[in-house]
Amino acid sequence: MSTKGFAIGVALSAFVAAAPAAAQETPVGKAIYDKWCAECHGEDGAGDGSAAAYMLPQPRDFTTGLYQIRTTPSGELPTDDDILRMIDEGMPGSAMPGWKEYLSDTERNDLVQYLKTFSPFFEDEAPSPVEYGGPPGVNEEGLAEGKEFYDKIECWKCHGQAGRGDGPSAPTLEDDWELPIRATDLTEGWNFNGGHTTEAIFARLMTGLNGAPMPSFADLIDAEFMTEEQLWRVAQYVKSLSPETPEVREVVRAALVETLPTSVDDPAWDAIERFYIPLVGQIIVEPRWFAPTVDGVWAQAAHDAQRVALRLTWNDPSESPNPEWEEWRQRVVSVMEPSVEATDELLSDALTVQFPTTIPEGMKRPYFLMGAQDEPVYLLSWNSGGGATEALGRGMNAIEPIGGASTLTTESTFDDGQWRLYLSRDLITESADRLAIETGRPIPMAIFAWDGSNGESGTQGAISTWYFLYLDQPTENITYAFPVVAVLLTAVLGLVIIARAQRATGGGGPEPGSD
Amino acid sequence: MSINRYLRHPFWQAILVLVIAYVLIEYGIPYLPPLIGISSAPVPQSVVLQYMLTVLAGVLIWVSDNEERWARFREPIRATLVDRDKRVLRIALLVIVPLLTGWLTFRAVRQTVAAPPSLRSIHPAPPSSITFRGQTMQLAGLENPLREGDLMAEAYRVGKRVYYQNCLPCHGDALSGDGHYAHGFTPAPLAFTGSSTIAQLTESFVFWRIAKGGPGLPREGTPWNSAMPAWEDILSEDEIWSVIVFLYEQAGVSPRTWEEAEGSGEH
Repeated sequence: MSTKGFAIGVALSAFVAAAPAAAQETPVGKAIYDKWCAECHGEDGAGDGSAAAYMLPQPRDFTTGLYQIRTTPSGELPTDDDILRMIDEGMPGSAMPGWKEYLSDTERNDLVQYLKTFSPFFEDEAPSPVEYGGPPGVNEEGLAEGKEFYDKIECWKCHGQAGRGDGPSAPTLEDDWELPIRATDLTEGWNFNGGHTTEAIFARLMTGLNGAPMPSFADLIDAEFMTEEQLWRVAQYVKSLSPETPEVREVVRAALVETLPTSVDDPAWDAIERFYIPLVGQIIVEPRWFAPTVDGVWAQAAHDAQRVALRLTWNDPSESPNPEWEEWRQRVVSVMEPSVEATDELLSDALTVQFPTTIPEGMKRPYFLMGAQDEPVYLLSWNSGGGATEALGRGMNAIEPIGGASTLTTESTFDDGQWRLYLSRDLITESADRLAIETGRPIPMAIFAWDGSNGESGTQGAISTWYFLYLDQPTENITYAFPVVAVLLTAVLGLVIIARAQRATGGGGPEPGSD
Repeated sequence: MSINRYLRHPFWQAILVLVIAYVLIEYGIPYLPPLIGISSAPVPQSVVLQYMLTVLAGVLIWVSDNEERWARFREPIRATLVDRDKRVLRIALLVIVPLLTGWLTFRAVRQTVAAPPSLRSIHPAPPSSITFRGQTMQLAGLENPLREGDLMAEAYRVGKRVYYQNCLPCHGDALSGDGHYAHGFTPAPLAFTGSSTIAQLTESFVFWRIAKGGPGLPREGTPWNSAMPAWEDILSEDEIWSVIVFLYEQAGVSPRTWEEAEGSGEH
């Protein structure tokens, strides 16, 4: 309570001292800012709060007046509504949450005015939004034209041919504060800072992202290089790259199939259901990692009662080890781990699928973070530099390969910013350390991923908690017999009831119209 | 036939009572109390069945306790079974009802895939003492040493830094358990706002949970699932007490006192 009183006191005195015309320092605005925003964005709005070093992208520096998500022309200040929108909705893909449900309308509006006091530029007249028409209807030719202009205006240079943020310039990108910045993965619309409606994407194309390398393309329309409609086509094309936000389900179902897919790009995988497993940075044991590359893995599984096959698909803009991304790695490490000297050694990409060593009977499982000394986990560990091995984990830093003959086969492929990994092994093996995989039982499963070109290895990578793998059992004939018996019994019962009722009333009852 | 004639007929009255009872049990119980600020939850299927059987028994007793009513109640049923002009309805029911039974049976016996239930105690019983960095701390009666006079402001300041550098990704800016990493973890990170978490706990309980984290949970707390770190490896004793001060101040709730805990029995 005393802190709040103090904050309001400071706010009041500041309010009395100065009140610029455009931006108003209200007691509410400052109190809200100090309580909820300052620890990230800094007391003076310079984006240098104590938490800034624990996130990438880092918090906005309000002193420059550079705001990414605007409706105003490139290089201009945002409108009040633009700032309010960022507070309300947050910035997906970053640490900035939406505040709409936590702060009142007055509080958020006062906050907008207070944020403007951090930059002298807001003393100028407020700019007005760029004006443009609505989108044309979506159709096949339109999307093809969108792709054509995606190439012509060189979106691919940063965002890549398939839109996964893996273009040739991606490793070199930095923002106006010289911090490394990712080219947005256009296939993950749910991470777009300004939202992923076609209108929002078009607004970004028209106005650019101030402070970030993303330019405005409005000048290409002015120069008659392309029409506004063609820019809408680009927005529609980008929108089409991004499927709906994936639903997260707890159980990955392994279909029972006649013939198991035998390779990573076996067409048989197209018929197998995909399950999305979100990953986040490993921030549980030291050294922690607050800037992971991989934010989710699509898992597919199938089995033929003898072997099980997994296909894991995830986006990573760099195929590591990769000298072209070395500069990126050095920069990320220097920002996230200023006290650590980045090694010269090129790091590989890696992915580990984790299971218990035996299917648990009750609720108890091994510790989700690669097991513990007294309770190991069984790991399928793949590394882009050396294939896949079976291993036992007794903690993140205690991983040992399992000796003896292995039935594990693997294949991996990388293209256009995406890894696809195939892993397959016998359900039952001779070895006691290798999990005996049974059908019809939920088997705990977790996934870990590392991007070598982002400086990730060891405890510094992306993790999940426990999910489940479930191998379908063959449907027994009795499963079909039960409903048939039920139908027959009910029908016979119905007939008996009708027959008895009709007999009791002496035949067919009154003829219609016989009365 | 006017609607009134239906409403006066015991058969349709019985059907109406059953329908109303079902709607009330299935939708009324979970959704009506929240309208007047009382929390509620959906009724489990087995309980719904039990309630409906009770209602059905009541309805049958009512329709059969008077000869005339019983006869009138049976009339539409008998007519459907017997009358020539109800032949189409009769055959339709004879097809639809068995098929419905078949479908329900198939639903009950087919292979279903669900994660095993993970029952966990949200506030598991704390131990009487813990070892913190080699020192034994008695939890019973333990108070936050920083909750004294002029130490509070500094504790809030330090606690805020500790929170934002460590807790924020999961527990969130607004302390509502929805930080930008929260979606990656099951069970989900706890919210500190509202009356159901830290507001029900003594500060010594919160100290124990922060210091020992997921791995220090008793079995009923499913320690193998929790992504909560054991913060004793990262934070000092003062930092933990500070972040506790910050949590209560920022969430706008008060810790449970030892008098309250003794009054109602710690759980």
